Amino acid sequence: MRPVRLFIILFGLLPLAAAARGTYQTPQDFLAEAFDGQVPEARVLWLTGTRREQVKRILGHPYPALRVRYWLRGARSAWILDETGKDRPITFGVLVENGRLARIRVLVFRESRGAEIRHPFFTEQFEGLKLDPRLALDRSIDGISGATLSVRAMKKIAALALYLDTQVRGEHVPTSP
Amino acid sequence: MSRHHRRKKRFKLRSFYIWHRYMGVAAAAFMVLVAVTGVLMNHPDRLGIDDKFVDAGWVLDWYGIHTPDDLLSFRAGDHYVSRMGKHLYLDTREFEGRYRDLVGAVRVHELLAIAVDDSILLLTPDGELVERLHTRDGVPAGLLRIGTDPAGDLVLEGGLDLWTPDADFLRWQPWHGDRDSLRWSKPQPLPPALYQALVTHYRGEALPLMRLLADLHSGRFFGRYGPWLIDLSALLLVLLSLSGTWIWLRRRR
Repeated sequence: MRPVRLFIILFGLLPLAAAARGTYQTPQDFLAEAFDGQVPEARVLWLTGTRREQVKRILGHPYPALRVRYWLRGARSAWILDETGKDRPITFGVLVENGRLARIRVLVFRESRGAEIRHPFFTEQFEGLKLDPRLALDRSIDGISGATLSVRAMKKIAALALYLDTQVRGEHVPTSP
Repeated sequence: MSRHHRRKKRFKLRSFYIWHRYMGVAAAAFMVLVAVTGVLMNHPDRLGIDDKFVDAGWVLDWYGIHTPDDLLSFRAGDHYVSRMGKHLYLDTREFEGRYRDLVGAVRVHELLAIAVDDSILLLTPDGELVERLHTRDGVPAGLLRIGTDPAGDLVLEGGLDLWTPDADFLRWQPWHGDRDSLRWSKPQPLPPALYQALVTHYRGEALPLMRLLADLHSGRFFGRYGPWLIDLSALLLVLLSLSGTWIWLRRRR
């Protein structure tokens, strides 16, 4: 193939990478949807002591902040959490209801690849998941080829939100070593 | 074959052998460089060099990597918060991420608050991030100034209004009071030792070691004609292998 043609084709593909980035739902819209338009006041949960260690175990690294914000009403809690896919943080919105994951959404995607994880065919796999004693999701998730790191980030955030939900409800999470 | 003919043939072989040696010496230096850099680049994980940076001053100067002239610093309690290029520092400790617009930094009771890129970084006095507050968390958009009121509470100027958070930084409300009583964060020069430390740190993260190895390997390190030098040494290596084989064959006869 002539270099000029190859360059034109590659240049034409650039917008596809850029198109993956973006805000797919604002946090405010996610919360409004999660609480049927009546968003409760935000609260904070401090990640200190044992909780910090458990969070580190789930993510594989410490959470980059000492506290996280959440919204709680009845059996529902909603979380806006960031996790890096490859190079840049992905912002997720997670709704937990009765200790099970009710909804997970990609709110802001900043990576150049892997945005396929935002599609319902993928996120629907997470619905109904619980946390097992190893602090992992209790069912396996089918991956997406070419989006391995984004998939991994979403799985970690799903497990983290389920764990944090137990913490705001004062539940003891039996964990295996 | 006559004696004269044999002598002529030996002389020809010897002159070829001398040329072979010269070519070998000429190519050797570059070939050692190419071989060593090639081996290093093949095993960056094992050698632990994939995330290393070059901090040698003359190399950074050679690459034209200089300190950006848009350094901006604020004093917050006993600390200095600085932005150099897109790097944000608390004293000499760099924050993760890239930042564009540092508005100011203040000490708020037991915490530090940094206004940057339309958000507030809340830190412990040790520099650990408590939370990054965004406009979605109630931080006013278009931050202009950050300061404290006489009670030591945080006050932000966003647009035409002044805002202050509650004790947990969860809710924001308009601040009312005497504007002249507010202490706004203002840019301050860095102490020379801290400035030098930041310059060293900034320049020390500008050039990955792998990039230097790749440039040495390809010859780009030596400038415009560097790749041609490497090409020439590669050509010499080809000639060496041909002349070496030829000399060996002639001697066997």
